[in-house]
Amino acid sequence: MLRADNVTYVHDRGRGRMAVVAQGFSPAKTDLHTGSTSATPALPGVQDVSVAIERGNVVGILGPNGCGKTTLLRLLAGMLQPEAGTVTLNGANLASIARAALARFIAVVPQETHLAFDYSVLEIALMGRYPHLGTFELEGPRDVAIAREALAATGTAALEHRLFATLSGGEKQRVVIASALAQQAEILLLDEPTASLDLGYQFDIAHLLARLNRERGLTIVVATHDLNFAAGLCGSLVMVSEGRVVAAGPTGDTLTSMSIQALYGVVADVYPHHAAGHLTVVPLRRIRRD
Amino acid sequence: MTDVRRRLAVSMLVFGSLAFLAVIGAPLLGTTPIRLARVFDRSIPFADNVDAQIFFIARLPRALAGALVGATLAAAGVVFQALLRNPLATPFTLGVSAGAALGAMLAITMRLHLSLWGVSAVTAASFIGSLCAVGIVYAMARARHHGFSTNILLLAGVTLNSFFSALILFVQYLADSAEALRTMRWLMGDLDVAGYGPLLAALPLCIVAFVAFAWLPRALNLLSLDTDAAASRGVNVLRVQRVAFFSASMATGAAVSLGGPIGFIGIIIPHLVRLMVGADHRIVLPASALVGAAFLVAADVVARTAMAPVELPVGIITALIGGPFFLWLLVRQR
Amino acid sequence: MKLGAGGWGLGTGGSGLGARDSGLRIRLTAAVLALVLLVSAPDARRAVAARTVESGHAPTRIISLVPSATEMLFAIGAGPRVVAVSSYDRYPPEVDRLPRVGALVDPDVERILSLRPDLVIAYSSQTDFLAQLERARIPVYLYRHGSLADITRGMRDLGSRVDLAAEAGAAAARIDSGLADIRIRLAGKRRPRTMLVIGREPQSLRAIHVSGGYGFLHDLLDLAGGDNLFADVKRESMMVATETILARAPEVIIELHYSDTASREAEALERKAWRLLPGVPAVKNGRIYLLYGGELVVPGPRVVLTAQAFARALHPDVLPHQEAVRVIPQDGLLDRK
Repeated sequence: MLRADNVTYVHDRGRGRMAVVAQGFSPAKTDLHTGSTSATPALPGVQDVSVAIERGNVVGILGPNGCGKTTLLRLLAGMLQPEAGTVTLNGANLASIARAALARFIAVVPQETHLAFDYSVLEIALMGRYPHLGTFELEGPRDVAIAREALAATGTAALEHRLFATLSGGEKQRVVIASALAQQAEILLLDEPTASLDLGYQFDIAHLLARLNRERGLTIVVATHDLNFAAGLCGSLVMVSEGRVVAAGPTGDTLTSMSIQALYGVVADVYPHHAAGHLTVVPLRRIRRD
Repeated sequence: MTDVRRRLAVSMLVFGSLAFLAVIGAPLLGTTPIRLARVFDRSIPFADNVDAQIFFIARLPRALAGALVGATLAAAGVVFQALLRNPLATPFTLGVSAGAALGAMLAITMRLHLSLWGVSAVTAASFIGSLCAVGIVYAMARARHHGFSTNILLLAGVTLNSFFSALILFVQYLADSAEALRTMRWLMGDLDVAGYGPLLAALPLCIVAFVAFAWLPRALNLLSLDTDAAASRGVNVLRVQRVAFFSASMATGAAVSLGGPIGFIGIIIPHLVRLMVGADHRIVLPASALVGAAFLVAADVVARTAMAPVELPVGIITALIGGPFFLWLLVRQR
Repeated sequence: MKLGAGGWGLGTGGSGLGARDSGLRIRLTAAVLALVLLVSAPDARRAVAARTVESGHAPTRIISLVPSATEMLFAIGAGPRVVAVSSYDRYPPEVDRLPRVGALVDPDVERILSLRPDLVIAYSSQTDFLAQLERARIPVYLYRHGSLADITRGMRDLGSRVDLAAEAGAAAARIDSGLADIRIRLAGKRRPRTMLVIGREPQSLRAIHVSGGYGFLHDLLDLAGGDNLFADVKRESMMVATETILARAPEVIIELHYSDTASREAEALERKAWRLLPGVPAVKNGRIYLLYGGELVVPGPRVVLTAQAFARALHPDVLPHQEAVRVIPQDGLLDRK
């Protein structure tokens, strides 16, 4: 069980701009000669957040951009140290667990992956095995088998020898998920996995994650602002607004017109869709806030 | 055997042989023919054995210097490219070589006449200059947060490069004409170390750097993917970035102090090697060091024989080869 | 000035700095040209675009950007007519009082114009500057760099230009006879193979520059009874590798240093650097001569002193060798008016 108790993180001192790489900014895009960079917003904090994630659940962290979803996710992943409160994994404080050991429990899938160099799909998948290797150890046949199996699980086995940079958005995301799978971690954290994907690929990812949860018992935590995606995939939701949790619980209880209105300032209709098999959200109109 | 193990073994074998052949072959090549038998003929006193003198005093230190500088610059290039996540980065991008050049310029134009442990004033001053550049860039990258921003690092380095380059031009301009020419020659690179002193002075630092380079490759793989991806796979990102930055910078400083800022090695060798062995840094880093060593030793042979007895600066040879190669690379990537 | 680059960015270039302080450093006309000419084709020296403007009377306000021409002017008695010199002039002492107007790369055109010269002595390669002078209708005398014989030839030519032909002729004749005297005394002597080092990194054997088989230094060496080790290379200056020195095995090494003096310790340290090459005959036999003095590389009236210094080093039995520091006496010009 992954828990965050009364966690507070006000601003990201430790990583500065590096922290926003997860949201899609890549230093590789920096123009070498003019040094120009795109504007990066300061990473928001979270205050007094308590979240408990049971094993085998699929939990969605919802909220508008800049509300602290990513910060919360990174706190749960152990990439940020809370200023107050604790984040524990099965009772043990994350801060006390060595990074490599932690990587064997928790795997993170960032929103976008920008490669600086031409790695092949198999090389990317094999990078998921690094937490299991000794300092100078090179991966052995078993590691290669596990990586291949992970690729197969995400339907990308055929792409093994392709260069990652040549793949489509959906394929890339599935390969990155495969790399996280190769870590053989029991918890998978994903940051906006469908944000830059076409509708078809969004379906693929949703189905893939559901299947992984079903077949392997993976605990999945997804930060997203796509309400329908969350509704379809997640059993429970944590709704975050301006750094605080405003609602948490089973999807059916938390995903309501009222909570959506409070979170996004949008009047929406929430109802179970017969054909889809889960709750769907239809936005109706915008409410002007102060 | 897995693919990576096999490729690593093959690369080490092939490139290692290449580097080895270059280093032992280069002292045998040159405009003055020497006979190996005579070189090792113990019966002739050393002071009378010109062949042996040419081999041991002139050519062998030069070949070793070329190997050391070539290996160091190529490996540092790989590390910087991974650190900055940019294949266009070079060991000179962050201003280390500009600092070294400024130190050397000042020593030449102020006519400093000291030497420490067999190391001339110019070499020592250029190393101190490189340390200053490293310190300034690091301090700037750290200034805003306790972390380590590669963006700021890059900006700081580029800024420092421009600023130091302007200072260098200024120093040159004020210099005596003879000194101005000497500074110009220094900037083009020179591996004629005439003895083992400068080599031995640079060696300890390079060894330390290479020990760090041995530890870095796997982390560099992950870093060049994504810093969060690296962190989530157990990499201490901050520590790796610091180790990478300092080891590569110091190694570059030592190499530039020894042989001058010899360009293009730090960028064409990593690219060439990646074309041959793929992007995995565990292979690219050691392979680049070996190929870099062989390449620079070969370039130096050309530099000292092409227009003999006139010495061509080795930096010109590397530029003549590197420039077109680099253009070809850029065109190819379209 | 261009920089040879190794892949890092270059900053902005500098523009002319204007007038310099006098007496700062030894400036070397020959070295400036010789070394700049390293990067230009030998023929470019002769390719002069600017036409010279002739005036009807003898010039009385002369500005000289060329130190060797300045020395010539003073030697033939035109000293009082010189109103400004280059930043690199150091001799004769009178020039210390004169304003400085830049040199080869940075002539201060404004200052020059403000001094209203009626003759400017400049380098033939300063094409932009010469064009400016032509527009201002200022007469120009072009300095041409060349061999030893060109020095006296140039002196006579300059003399007629400033209407002191007779004095110039006499001064040139004295130089010629001084040089001939040395040549005669050394006739028939065995000529040792000599390496003439014109620059290297202090206290090490890196970046050794030597005189090739071209130019007035080579001619002086030849006249002083030495065989230039690199006579086969038709360049004025070149960098040589350690290997080449070992292979060619010079019997004598003459090093030129351009500061006026050096302490005994400094001199000893420079000598010590050569111990890296114990097998070279010059090192083995202790025939390394360090010469100090700014005049060593000025192709002007004081070349006889340089020739004497070379001769002393090469043939100490004929001309006794003085200690290396300050071979040339302070007041070194022969016969000045």
